[in-house]
Amino acid sequence: MPTAKDTPPNQSDQAAARQVTAPLAAVTRRRFMKGILLGSAGLAVAAGGTFAVLRRSPVDQLPVPDGIQHLSQSEYHLFRRAIEVLLPLAGSALTPVSEVPVLANIDAMIGTLPAHIRKDVASGLMLFDNAAVVSGWHGRRFVDLEEADAVAYFDRWSRGSVIQRTMNTVIKQFVYVSYWRDPKTWPPVEFDGPVSDRWGIAYLGNAPLPEEADA
Amino acid sequence: MSASILSSAIETKDETVQQINQGLPVVQASDVKTGRLELTADVVIIGSGAGGAVTAYELARKGLDVLVLEAGPYVPSSEFTEDFTESLETLYEDHGGQANTDGDLLVLQGRCVGGSTVVNGCVSFRTPDFIFDEWHRDFGLTDFTSASMAPYFERVERNLSITENGPHEIARHSQIMQRGAAALGWSMKPFKRNIRECALTGHCLSGCKTERKQSMLVTYLPWAAAHGARIHSDTQVDRVTSEQGRATGVEGRVIDRHGKHVADISVKAERVIMAAGAVQTPVILQRSGLGNDQVGRNFACHPSMYVGARYPEPVHPWRGAMLGVYVDEFMHPDNGGFILEVGGLGIAELCMISEPGTGKPFVEYMEKAAHMAGIVTLIHDHNVGEIRWQGDHKEILYKLSDKDFPSMLASLKAAVRLHLAAGAEEVLLPTSERLSVTSVDQIDAVIDRLSNKPQHLRMVSYHPQGSCRMGTDPANSATDAEGRLRGVEGVWVADASLLPTSLIVNPQVTVYALANYVADRIG
Repeated sequence: MPTAKDTPPNQSDQAAARQVTAPLAAVTRRRFMKGILLGSAGLAVAAGGTFAVLRRSPVDQLPVPDGIQHLSQSEYHLFRRAIEVLLPLAGSALTPVSEVPVLANIDAMIGTLPAHIRKDVASGLMLFDNAAVVSGWHGRRFVDLEEADAVAYFDRWSRGSVIQRTMNTVIKQFVYVSYWRDPKTWPPVEFDGPVSDRWGIAYLGNAPLPEEADA
Repeated sequence: MSASILSSAIETKDETVQQINQGLPVVQASDVKTGRLELTADVVIIGSGAGGAVTAYELARKGLDVLVLEAGPYVPSSEFTEDFTESLETLYEDHGGQANTDGDLLVLQGRCVGGSTVVNGCVSFRTPDFIFDEWHRDFGLTDFTSASMAPYFERVERNLSITENGPHEIARHSQIMQRGAAALGWSMKPFKRNIRECALTGHCLSGCKTERKQSMLVTYLPWAAAHGARIHSDTQVDRVTSEQGRATGVEGRVIDRHGKHVADISVKAERVIMAAGAVQTPVILQRSGLGNDQVGRNFACHPSMYVGARYPEPVHPWRGAMLGVYVDEFMHPDNGGFILEVGGLGIAELCMISEPGTGKPFVEYMEKAAHMAGIVTLIHDHNVGEIRWQGDHKEILYKLSDKDFPSMLASLKAAVRLHLAAGAEEVLLPTSERLSVTSVDQIDAVIDRLSNKPQHLRMVSYHPQGSCRMGTDPANSATDAEGRLRGVEGVWVADASLLPTSLIVNPQVTVYALANYVADRIG
């Protein structure tokens, strides 16, 4: 697997992160937290306990690579599983995930988020992971779902409440953008990328001053 | 002062003007070496986009001492990257993340020297006649007719090389849609665009690297500078100052690209032109406590959807002129009140516009990326939104209204129908869940299931407008019929905030013409 970036977040990371989290960033914080709290309360009631981690997972014991700087352990494993579910590229013509630093890109994008949005992203990710225990009665967290169940889980959230639709979009966009922004993914789909310099197109400069009748 | 300015002297009747052939003389944050800038001018213009640049040129060539303040950075064309994700960071408001409070409508605006004209798709429409009729009927704006505004339109069209797309500018995705429109018997026309010798790179939304797009960056701003206008970038105006009911200037801050506060700035000027765009202009006025209660109200934005479809043959939607043709069959409100624009897009955008499904369906969708083509819908939305400064942040309060939802659905149905007539195998709806149509008989059943609720439709606005409406009645307008802000002397509005109703069509030419009209009335 490609290693995580150890350089400071760059402008491209920041832009990608802002774009991906725009739905989340604009939802008023009170509304978002209300949705999270309602979701959490539902989970707690259904599970008959508190909303602290509802089910332990084997992945809780797995380490996170050294290069990951911004994702928590649970977030790292959530995105690792989400990449497997969202980008099943084996047998396709697309560039294998193993050749693209998708997780490192997500980590870098997450690192550029303003603190208040970062907090909402963390809350939303926690809800997404844990709600699988009761949502659809899977009885296990998202990170432990079988592929078919994980796909169904995403699809159910795409039709759910505002918060569910938002998190479905945000998680998918983090994964998709982190993959497709890498130029290595472009040749299989014949995307040209930047062309002006490559094609040697001349610069025209500024337009000439208009000839004014009253000048 | 920025480097690489090439210029040459030109004789005019009254003066020798230094034509600026390449680049712009801009005072940037990196040029500021003091903690406080105190400047004076005859006119201070807030914003350097369509409204600000035109007023700057028109007033500077009259001999007024003009100062333009732009909140965004100065990015010369040579630094454009043709990478949309990077361009969002450097050239767009809120780094491309500006959205309404529901989070389901991205509001894309340029935030750089040249404003949105740097990152638009060059589409150039005159204001439709029936829009002028609405302005006359509902807002008493009798001076605005196609005939009275024709000299303004002709002037900007000449200055900005606005011509109809030639055959070579009709890319593959547009050719396919021409096929569909012909099969349906719908009226479809080539766009007019403000461009010289289009290089057909398809990267309009990332700025035109080789200066073919006739944005303000390469036209009115260098012309204004040639007539002595001064331009400052990285300069965020906090408020317009006033005394005893008269504007006295502005106060603000110089902030570099990394968010560092470099200096405070104050400008003394008897005339202040608000041209920061339909989101920022009302925000600045509200921070200043100026204007009546209409400032910020009546916001509209042409909520758009990008309707993508897969075709049996390769289309390569990123190749060729980004915008080639449009359907005007339904433009008049009596016929539906929407238009369909055939638009290209890049790979990053392609994975964000639709929901093709999870896992394998997404992979299959992206494997066929080169076979995708898209249609942008634009509707004549009602002015139901509001821009509000909330003390430490702005809010764009805009929900797709129930009055406009039928138009959205009608435009969506028409886009799907056009795709299918053009030979599409599958049309993906711009919704949060996977919804697609593969035959005409499915259209009503699938689309009529949609409901008007947040985060259901994926919408983008490229045309915020109307938040400082002009009109003759103070009860429903923020400015008078000549752009003067009500309640204070010496402040004019000269950007898309002025538009009393939404236009249906892309607004840049209307804004250029209105800015010129307003400038002609400033002594």
